[in-house]
Amino acid sequence: MLALQILIDGFAISALYALGATGFTLIFGVSGVLNLSHGALMAMAAITAWAVADMVGGNAYVGAAAGVIAALICAFVTFRLIVRPIQNSRAIPGEEKEIFVLTGTLLWGIMIQEALAYLFTNTPKTVRPLIEGVVSIAGVRVPYNEVLTTAISWAAIGLLWLLVNRTRMGKRLLAASMNPRGLTLLGHELSSIYLLVWAIYGILAGIAGVLLGAFLGVSSDNAGTLTASAFSIVVLGGLGSVSGSLIAAFVVGYLETITAYLISPTIRTVPVLLLLVVVVYVRPQGLLGRR
Amino acid sequence: MYGRKACWDAADMLRNKIFLLVVPLLVVLALLPLGADGYILGLLTLAYYYAVFAMSWDLLFGFAGEVNFGPTFLIGVGAYTAALLNHYWHWSIPACLAAGSATAVVAGLVLAVPALRLRGPYFGLVTLVAVLLLQNMLVLNAGLTGGEIGLDLPDVLAVDDTQNYYYAFGFMVVSAAILFGLSRSPVGLILQASGQDAIEASALGFNVAKHKLVAFAISAFFSGLAGAMLIFYMGTASVGTVVDIAVGVNVIIAAVLGGRRTILGAAIGAIFLIGAGEVLRPLGQLATFIVAAVALIVILFLPSGFLGRFLQPGDRQ
Amino acid sequence: MSALLEVQGLGKRFGGLVAAKDISFSIQPGEILGLIGPNGSGKSTVMKCIMGIERPNAGSVKIAGTEVAGWAPHRIARQGVGIVFQHARPLQRQTILEHIILALLPDNLFMLRTNHEVRRRAEEIATRVGLAGVMHRLPRTLPFADLRRLELAKAIARNPQVVLVDEPFAGLTAAEVADFSKLIGSFRADGHAVLLVDHNVKGVAALVDRVFAMYLGERIAEGSATKVMQNETVRRVYLGGKIETAARPEREGKGRTPLLEVRNLGVLYGKATALDDVNIHIGEGEFVSVVGLNGAGKTTLFNAISGLVPHNGTINWKGQSLAHQTPAAIARNGIVQCPETRELFGDMSVRENLDLGGQHLTKEQSDKQLEWLFGLFPILKSRQGQASRTLSGGEQQMLAIARALMMQPKLLILDEPTLGLAPVILEQLSKAMETLRQTTDITVLLGEQNVTFALPHADRVYVLEHTRIVWEGDPGRFAAEAGAGYL
Repeated sequence: MLALQILIDGFAISALYALGATGFTLIFGVSGVLNLSHGALMAMAAITAWAVADMVGGNAYVGAAAGVIAALICAFVTFRLIVRPIQNSRAIPGEEKEIFVLTGTLLWGIMIQEALAYLFTNTPKTVRPLIEGVVSIAGVRVPYNEVLTTAISWAAIGLLWLLVNRTRMGKRLLAASMNPRGLTLLGHELSSIYLLVWAIYGILAGIAGVLLGAFLGVSSDNAGTLTASAFSIVVLGGLGSVSGSLIAAFVVGYLETITAYLISPTIRTVPVLLLLVVVVYVRPQGLLGRR
Repeated sequence: MYGRKACWDAADMLRNKIFLLVVPLLVVLALLPLGADGYILGLLTLAYYYAVFAMSWDLLFGFAGEVNFGPTFLIGVGAYTAALLNHYWHWSIPACLAAGSATAVVAGLVLAVPALRLRGPYFGLVTLVAVLLLQNMLVLNAGLTGGEIGLDLPDVLAVDDTQNYYYAFGFMVVSAAILFGLSRSPVGLILQASGQDAIEASALGFNVAKHKLVAFAISAFFSGLAGAMLIFYMGTASVGTVVDIAVGVNVIIAAVLGGRRTILGAAIGAIFLIGAGEVLRPLGQLATFIVAAVALIVILFLPSGFLGRFLQPGDRQ
Repeated sequence: MSALLEVQGLGKRFGGLVAAKDISFSIQPGEILGLIGPNGSGKSTVMKCIMGIERPNAGSVKIAGTEVAGWAPHRIARQGVGIVFQHARPLQRQTILEHIILALLPDNLFMLRTNHEVRRRAEEIATRVGLAGVMHRLPRTLPFADLRRLELAKAIARNPQVVLVDEPFAGLTAAEVADFSKLIGSFRADGHAVLLVDHNVKGVAALVDRVFAMYLGERIAEGSATKVMQNETVRRVYLGGKIETAARPEREGKGRTPLLEVRNLGVLYGKATALDDVNIHIGEGEFVSVVGLNGAGKTTLFNAISGLVPHNGTINWKGQSLAHQTPAAIARNGIVQCPETRELFGDMSVRENLDLGGQHLTKEQSDKQLEWLFGLFPILKSRQGQASRTLSGGEQQMLAIARALMMQPKLLILDEPTLGLAPVILEQLSKAMETLRQTTDITVLLGEQNVTFALPHADRVYVLEHTRIVWEGDPGRFAAEAGAGYL
């Protein structure tokens, strides 16, 4: 029974982690940015969903939509006002740009986190689930919400896969992650590609944030841990590899769930951290990383 | 440092500019306890310890070229070693300080090993993970370490505000003198070359690995020592004051704001940051928001920091 | 007198790639040896092995009799080797003098003060290389030539027995080259053994005592500069073979309408001069070849036209300046470049690469174009589904050209398409070029080191040598007028 519980909960958490991490990896692969405001973005999406749902008299769908839109806007702001100016800055030498972008996104993340805490306090908020109720799967009681989370996560990832592999736009995205210069030589403006990537990232992170808010509840304090999680998953899977992130998300999701159930919920992040240390020493490029 | 020199030496002019700014400031700060109240003194005391944190960070980043995203790993190791020794075995403060800095140096060398093998973001990751692991370890063993609440210390540096102020001030000035002197010395030059281009530095005959290890050790020593002194000033050691990532972020911001590769800029950045944080405290949560916003603006428009800009009008490379 | 630098049987491989094989030479005190070879010849690898930056897999390297192969670079440096890197970056906050002082420092952890001796010696060295007037200035304020002198000063600071110089004249203008040449020549008198590593013999011919030529990791010729320049193998490697001038059919109306006009083009990489006052023009339907050795500036020229690097001067396309267009816009407007590095999407299939090139066309146009290209390069059709990184060098080149052609360019720029390809592939490429010329009215700008490939198709030829155009004319007259001095 416990095993089944772990299996199901682990699956749901992993799917959610996969969704969050995929966006993070995509941004790194195409735009070259490790966005340290990722967790804050997700938290913001969740809290916006919660707040808006309340404002419109309890409509969960409107709230969720608002959360995703907020994330989309925030992603654009992150790109246009912070990342791009630093990348194009002539006052920063090339090899230090990465560090400045990291620090810049870190500061931006802190700003978002503090703004959320100021406006909404840092008590955890639970986003109203889209579907109430519980279902029984092979004798285990699972909230519909959890099933929905898993389904939506996979649907989003699936749509992304379709986009990248079956549409012209998606092919350009993929090409940009492999060879931006090659793409420019073929007459495609990289600036539009970057806008698209950040838009997709905003939507994915927004959905992930809203779902997380409904599943586990989110407070502004979680921003840092969420970023750390995404970061760990992406490094384990290999910076820049989306399939690597997917696999790593499951490894991390299950590792955390098993630890939480079998040992103690308070140390659920520790085995993952230890795994991270091992990976960084033994195989720094991660499972499927290329760079 | 180079003997008699002609006054049109460009490097000299840079240094003179610094002393023109720093010496009067130091005099003012040294005389502050004569007029200022305990509240301001307390604030500056804290700022001075942060200044040492930031200067150690700059030595590693600005000079050896290694990005440490978790300076609180070294600070925390130093602080908690001292705290545990004092709390359980009642070692004297000087002994605890020595032990704290020694363990911090060991921790620094442990951190240095992957640094020599990993590139860019990967090393930054290792440093981040190190802090998270330390934090988790301390919180999980709360029975031993006091966890989030912290560990009470039987001894403190001093009770009087003015005494504490001078301890911190003296410590900062001595550390600054050593670190700054190091940065301007031939060893500092070698470190800078190693940090910018390791291959070129080895082709000039320098064992880059050796120099970087030493840079780590020195950075760790001062971070650990400052961390240990800080907890004896506060009377408790807690995760929130010496290990939390937020503290580390403040250290990095301070160094970047002040100007990388200037050492003294990091100290100025730290004092500014602590001061600003306090001035804005009445605004509550908004305070951190504003500080972060200001730091972000500085990064975007003034990437070489306050002191960096002061020394070099015009940022063209 | 025994040799200061003695290399015996040096070998180095990177995985499956043999970068250097059985390389042996020696340099006497006061002698300057030129180690030359085109891109990929292994000359840089040999230099790195001597300096210890790479560890050789085989062979020995002796500095004044002491075996140093496999030592760490800093030990080799202390043993008596100085190196001038091509892309050195000085520290921004230290003066010239302080840089030289750095080069004089011992590898000591406890050096907290420098003494007068060191400073005096540094001043001497600065004067030796001609930097006496600027030694208290910051690198940021100095021209490129002075920065190169600084690198030279650092390399000879501790009076090493052996001095290695990588691409001594890269980035210098023609006038600066003469000065620099004299400076390096003066090292003879000091008794150093000097190794110059460069792309071409001509550039260093006046300076060196002997030349050691490499190709694909092996030695192909050794001897005096004149002897090597006339060596059969060397000429074939650089020129692609005998320069034959065959009568070529006139093409009706070609070149009448001006298409591309480049005037007073100058390009700087930081402070290094890459192109200096270059003028070329291309008319509609023409096939123009720009020939020049590696490092002459062909790629820079093409990148300037494609908008990938900032430049001075004007570039006009169909009468309008390209100054404010993005590189992607320039490509969409009809100038498509197939670069030296090909820039394929390695993990994508051949078909996907081609489709990306055809994204501006409708489905029908794209299909039609694809069919035509498969006719031109049948091998691509059979390898459609394969990932492009698994193709052979020649197939990748064909894919790159085909992908560029998918854009239906008005001007196709080809940068060194034959680099690293076997002769049999060159045949196929040559045939494809010919078909292209005859069945379409496409305009082509070809940049090549391999003259034998570049000449037969060309209507006109430019010769680019060390940042400048030195000759322009009919391919028929090339052999007579420019061919002899090419190498």
